[in-house]
Amino acid sequence: MLADLLTPDLFASAVRMATPLALAAIGGTICERAGVVNIALEGMMLFGAFMGVIGAMYTGSAWFGVVTAVVAGISLALVHAFASITLRTDQVVSGTAINILATGLTGFLMEVIFGHPGTTDPVRRLQPVFSFSGPGDGALATVWRWVDTVFLSYTPIVYAAIFIAIGGHWALYNTRWGLRLRSLGEHPRAADTVGISVVRGRYSAVLVSGALAGLAGANLTLEQVGSFTEGMTNGRGFIALAANIFGRWTPGGSYGASLLFGFADALQIRLQLFRDVIRIPSQFFLMLPYVLTVVVLASVVGRAVAPAAIGKPYEKG
Amino acid sequence: MDSKLRKVLALLLVAALVAVFAVGCGGEDEPVDDPDTGEAPTTDVRAAMVTDVGGLGDKTFNDGTYEGLLRAERELGVEIRALESNEIADYEPNIDQLANAGFDVIFTVGFLMTDTTIVKGPEYPDVVFGGIDQFFEEPGDNVVGLLFKEHESAYLAGVVAGLATLDGDLDDRINDQNKIAFIGGMDIPPVERFEVGFIAGARSVNPDVEIINLYAGSFDDVAKGKELALSAIAEGADVVFAAAGLTGNGAITACQEQGALFIGVDVDQYFSVEGSGDVMLTSAMKSLETAVFETIKAVVEGTFVGGENRTFGIAEGGVDIAPFHDFEDAVSQEIRDAVEAARQDVINGTVTVPATRDEL
Repeated sequence: MLADLLTPDLFASAVRMATPLALAAIGGTICERAGVVNIALEGMMLFGAFMGVIGAMYTGSAWFGVVTAVVAGISLALVHAFASITLRTDQVVSGTAINILATGLTGFLMEVIFGHPGTTDPVRRLQPVFSFSGPGDGALATVWRWVDTVFLSYTPIVYAAIFIAIGGHWALYNTRWGLRLRSLGEHPRAADTVGISVVRGRYSAVLVSGALAGLAGANLTLEQVGSFTEGMTNGRGFIALAANIFGRWTPGGSYGASLLFGFADALQIRLQLFRDVIRIPSQFFLMLPYVLTVVVLASVVGRAVAPAAIGKPYEKG
Repeated sequence: MDSKLRKVLALLLVAALVAVFAVGCGGEDEPVDDPDTGEAPTTDVRAAMVTDVGGLGDKTFNDGTYEGLLRAERELGVEIRALESNEIADYEPNIDQLANAGFDVIFTVGFLMTDTTIVKGPEYPDVVFGGIDQFFEEPGDNVVGLLFKEHESAYLAGVVAGLATLDGDLDDRINDQNKIAFIGGMDIPPVERFEVGFIAGARSVNPDVEIINLYAGSFDDVAKGKELALSAIAEGADVVFAAAGLTGNGAITACQEQGALFIGVDVDQYFSVEGSGDVMLTSAMKSLETAVFETIKAVVEGTFVGGENRTFGIAEGGVDIAPFHDFEDAVSQEIRDAVEAARQDVINGTVTVPATRDEL
C-alpha cells in the first residue's frame, strides 16, 4: 500500500499546492522582518488573482497577466504601508480592512466587467516550462517518470517561488539589504540612529510583500485554474501567515513550512483514494493536514521568536 | 504629519471601510426593475432568496434557484430580490432583512441553511419559507422543504459514465482501466445522494467498474478541486463526476489538461461553464427552477400548502441528465438505450435508487 501511496504525483501535487502559500509566506516574512504585520496577504493574493485574469484577458498574454497581478498586489500593499507606516494606524486593523476591501472590490469589479458574479471567463494559462520525452519503458522509465514529475513538470511561478525562497534566504543573512531589513524589525531606533530611513525601508518591505502575494494570486489563476472565482484564495493568505511563523521568519523556513502544509494536503487527497480499504468518513482525511500542523508546531518546532519591534509603529524623534 | 490631517485621513478611511462593508456584507441586492413588465401580469407578491456561501454565479444551485425567481418575475410579475451570504454567519441577518422588508416568500438555499430556516420559520409566520435541499422533521404551516432525488439523476449519470469508460470508440481520452471518479464538495446528505446514486448507476451497467471517491471539504476551493481531479485522473479515471459547486470547476480544468471527460452537476454545465464543451459529457441536473417557480405560483394563486417536504424525482420532472451536446454524435445507441431503460426503471419503480451509503 505504501508504494501505492507514495507516487511521483503525490510530491508534484504537494509542490503545486505549496507554491501560493510559500510566495505569500515569504512576503509575510519580509514584511514582518521590517516590523510591519501583514495580515492583508489574503486580500492582496485575492486581488492579484483577479487582476491577473483581467490583465491576461485584455492583452491575451498570460505573462502580462502576471505583471498586472504583481502590480495589483503592490497597489494594495501601498494602502497598507500608507496606513500603517505614514499614518501609524494599528497594522492589524489596516490589514483586516484591506482583506474586506479585496473581497468587496473583486466582487464589484466582477459585476462591472463580466456582468455576473461567481467565476470569470477562462483565460490562457502559463504552460509548464519543460516538456521532455523520456524512455518509454523499463526500469529507467520509472526513474525518469519520478524525475520528470517531481522536478520538471511545473509552471514558471512554481520554479520562481523556489528561487525566491533560496535567494531571499541568502540575501536576508548575507547582504546589506538583509541586515538593514532585520534591524528595522528588531530595533528601528538604532537603525534610525545610524542613518537608515525607517520609513523608506518599511515601505519597500511592505511593497515587496504585496508583490509576492500578487504573484501567489497569479499562480492560482494563471497557472492552476485559468479563471478567477470569488473568494478563491480560501484562507491561503492566513495559512501563509502561519507558515511564516512556523518557518521562524525566514524565507527558506517559510517555503519549507508551506511545503509541509502542501504535502499534508496532497497526502490527504491521496489517502482518500483508499477509502474503500480504510473505511472511515471523508471528514477524517480532510482533518489530517490540520492535525499534522498542530503536532508539528507543538512538538518539533519549539518556541519561535518574533522580531522585537513587530507591529509597533515607529515615531521618529 | 500634523494631527489634524491625520484625523481627517483616518475618518476618510473609516468612511471607505463602512462603504465597503455595506456592499460586501449586506450581499448584493438585485433589484430588477424591468420596464418590459408592463405587459406581464402583476401581483403584490414579492419573492426573495438567500444564497448559500457559494453565492450567485456559482453556476449550480444558487443560480438555479435564481432562475426560478427570474421566471416568476417574467411570468407572474413577482418582485424579486436575492441576498448573498458570504459566510454562514450571514444566513440569519439576510433572512431578517428580507422578512422585515416585507417579502412574502423567501427561499433559503442549501442543506447548510436547514437549522436557520427551522429557527426563522416560526419567527415570521406570515412569510412562506422554501428550503432548498432541506428536510424538516416538523415543518410549520409556512414552511416547505424542497428536496430533490439527486440520486436518481446521478444514477443516470452513473449509467452514462459506467458505459462510457468501457467505450473506447466514444473518445480517445477513454482508457482501458475501467475507472471513473466522483468528487464531492462537502460530505452532506445531498452530496451523498449524488455519490451513492452515481455509484449505483455505474455498477448497474458495469459491475466491475472501480469508482474513485474523493471529497474536497469545500464548495468554493477551485484549486483544490483541480488537485483532486488530477489525482483521480493520474490513478486512471477517465470520466469524472463532480458534485462540488465551484470546486468542481477546477475539476473541469484538470480534465481539459490531462484528457478526461467530465459530468456536471445541478444545472446543464455545458452552458453555465464557458469553454467546457470539449470535456462535458453530460450533467446530472436538478430542476430548481421548476420547484421554485411552482412554489411562488402557488403563493400567488393562493393555493400554497405548507407544512410538508416535497420531493422532486425523475417522475416529477425534478431531476434528469442534460443532453450530450458536443458528444451527441459520439455517444453510442447502446448508451442512449441504457439511459432510457434506466429512466423507465426508476419511473415505474422497477429500480429503487439508493440514497445513502447504507442502502448501497
